Amino acid sequence: MDEVTRQKATPNEVDRALAHLDPDAGRPSNVVDVRSLSLQFGAKTVISDVTIPFERGTITALIGPTGSGKSTFLRTLNRMNDRVVGFRHEGEVLLDNESIWSSSQDLLSLRRRVGMLFQRPNPFPMSIKDNVVAGVKAHGIAKGRELDVVAETRLREVGLWNAVKDRLNDSPYRLSGGQQQLLCLARALAVGPEVLLLDEPTSALDPLSTEAVENLLRTLVPALTLIVVTHNLGQARRVSDRTMFFYEGRLVEHGPTPALFESPRDPDTARYVNGLMG
Amino acid sequence: MTVPSTPRSATPVARDPRATGVRRHRREDRAWRIGGRLATILPIVGFAFVMIVLAVKAWPAFRVSGLGFITHSAWQPGNTYGGTQRVHGVLIPQGATYGAWPMLLGTLQTSAIALLVALPISIGTAFALTERLPKWLSAPLGFFVEILAGVPSVIIGLWGVLVLGPFLSRDVYPIVANHLPNVPVLRYFRGSVGYGEGLLTSGLVLGLMIVPVIASTTRDLFLQVPPLPKEGALALGMTDAEVARRVTIPWVRSGIIGATVLGLGRALGETIAVAMVSGSVLGTVAPNVYGTMTTIAATIVTQLDSAATDGTGFAVATLAEAGLVLAIISVVVNLLARTIVRRAGRMAAPVGRA
Repeated sequence: MDEVTRQKATPNEVDRALAHLDPDAGRPSNVVDVRSLSLQFGAKTVISDVTIPFERGTITALIGPTGSGKSTFLRTLNRMNDRVVGFRHEGEVLLDNESIWSSSQDLLSLRRRVGMLFQRPNPFPMSIKDNVVAGVKAHGIAKGRELDVVAETRLREVGLWNAVKDRLNDSPYRLSGGQQQLLCLARALAVGPEVLLLDEPTSALDPLSTEAVENLLRTLVPALTLIVVTHNLGQARRVSDRTMFFYEGRLVEHGPTPALFESPRDPDTARYVNGLMG
Repeated sequence: MTVPSTPRSATPVARDPRATGVRRHRREDRAWRIGGRLATILPIVGFAFVMIVLAVKAWPAFRVSGLGFITHSAWQPGNTYGGTQRVHGVLIPQGATYGAWPMLLGTLQTSAIALLVALPISIGTAFALTERLPKWLSAPLGFFVEILAGVPSVIIGLWGVLVLGPFLSRDVYPIVANHLPNVPVLRYFRGSVGYGEGLLTSGLVLGLMIVPVIASTTRDLFLQVPPLPKEGALALGMTDAEVARRVTIPWVRSGIIGATVLGLGRALGETIAVAMVSGSVLGTVAPNVYGTMTTIAATIVTQLDSAATDGTGFAVATLAEAGLVLAIISVVVNLLARTIVRRAGRMAAPVGRA
C-alpha cells in the first residue's frame, strides 16, 4: 500500500474547499425575501406591509396572539392561501430571488421546495412506508426499490425507524400522535425541500413528543431553512435563531431570539413575551 | 335485577311520588328492550322467510332441472294444453324444459356494464359537487342528483326504449361497431347493432339509474373527509387529481364500496326498465353487446302471466327457482363486498380523525 503523505491544510484552504462543496454557494443568502407584503381576505386586511428576509439555514419563530396573522403569513409562503375565496396579496415574496407568484414559477415544484408541517399530524390513508414516499412518488423523484431506501433514510432521520421498521405496511393511524407528526415530518423531508414551514407543529403533542420534534428541528439546520409559527414562547426561545412578533397584522418587532425576549424594544412585544398578553 | 331502592315512608298510605316514576321508567325500559330485540331479529326472520318460501316454491323445479338449470339455455314451457309427463316424481307439461344460463349471464353482464359506467361518473360527479363547483351551483345540482335517484324506473325504461335506444342504435353504435378491430373483448362491440334494445342499452340504462345512488352517497362521504390531510397532500406539491386519488378517495374507500354495492344491488334486481330495453329474448345469449337478451328479474315479471297458465305449476316453480338464484347472487355479491370493505378498511382513518 502506498504511503500517503498528509499535509495540514491551512484554515483558508479548508474554507475554500468547504465553500466549493456548499450546494448553496452562489445563491442569495436570504432564501426567502418578503417585500412590502400585504394580505387580504375580502375587505379584511390580515397582514399589512411586512418586509423581512429569511436567512438561509436558520430557524425563525413567528409569534403573536391568535388572529395576529402569523399563520396566514406562513401559509402564503407556499401559496396555500391562493385558492381561498377573496384572498389577495400585494408586494412580493421572493424564493431564491424569484417571485413565488411569477408565471415561470411552477406551483407544484414551489411546494416541493417549500414544505410544510401542520398543527396536527395528517398522515394519508395509506401504509406508513407509502406515507413517507407519497411526495417522492408524486414528483417522480424515485421509484421501485429506491423508494424503500428513501423511506428508511427519512424514517431514520426523524428517529422513527426503530419504532416502525417492523410495521412499514401497517396503517399510520395506530401510531401515537407524536410518532404520526414525525412521520409527517419524514414525508415532508423526503421530497428534499429547501424551506420548511411549520404551523404550530407541536400544539397537539405531549411534552415528550414536543421535545423530540424540537430536538429534531435543530438538526435540520443549516441544511434547511425553518420558519415556525408557535404559540409556545418557550419553544420559540429553545429552537429559533430569530423571532418575529406579529400583532394585529403588523410585524411589530423582529430580531435575534435572545434579544427579542430579553430586551424587547416595543411595549407590545414586551407585554407578549412576558405573558401579559395572549 | 336490582332496582334502585326507593325510600319508603313508614305509613304505606303516603306513597312516595318518586316510586311511580321508577315504575314508569321500568316499563319504558322493558318496552325498549323488547322492541330492540324485535328490531334485531326482524331482518333475519324476514330474510329467512323470503328464502324459505322461494325454496319451497322452487323445489319441484329444482327436482326436475337440478343444477342443469343454471347451465342450460333452452326455455320451453312445453305444451301446456296437451299431456303431462312425470319427471323425478314431478308432474310437468309435455316437452317442458327450462335453463336459466342466458338470463343469469345477462343479469351479470348488464350489472357489470352498469357498474363500469356508473362508478367513474358517480365519483366524478361527487368530486365536482364537493371540490370543484361553487356552492351556489353545487347545492342545486346535488339536489337534482337526488331527484334523479327518485325517478321511477318505469319512466327511465320508457325513455330508454323511446329515446336512448333508437338514438344509440342510429347514431352511436354503428360508428363503434364499424371501427373497432377484430380482437378479443373488442370483438363483442362489432357486428349487427340491432334496433337499440339489448345488452349494452340495458347496461347503460341501469348505469344511469345507479349513478345517483352512488353519486349522492359518495358526495356525502367526500364532505366528511377532513381538510388537513388534503392540505398536507397539496403542500407536498400534489396536483388536485393526485390528492383525490391518493387521499380523498382512499379516505372513504370502504364507504364508496358500500355505495357501489347498493347500486349493484339495484342493478341486479332492476326489473321493469330492463324488461323494456333488453328486448326480452329468452333462451339465447347475446352474440355481441348490442344483442337482445333478458335478465332474471325481467324474465320473472314478463313470464309470470304465461307461467300461471301452466296447470302443473312447473313454470311458476321455475320462476321461483330463478328468483332464488337471483337472491343467492345478491347475497354472494354482498358478502364479496364485505370482504373487500374489510380489506380496504385496513388503511382507513378512524372516523372523525383529522
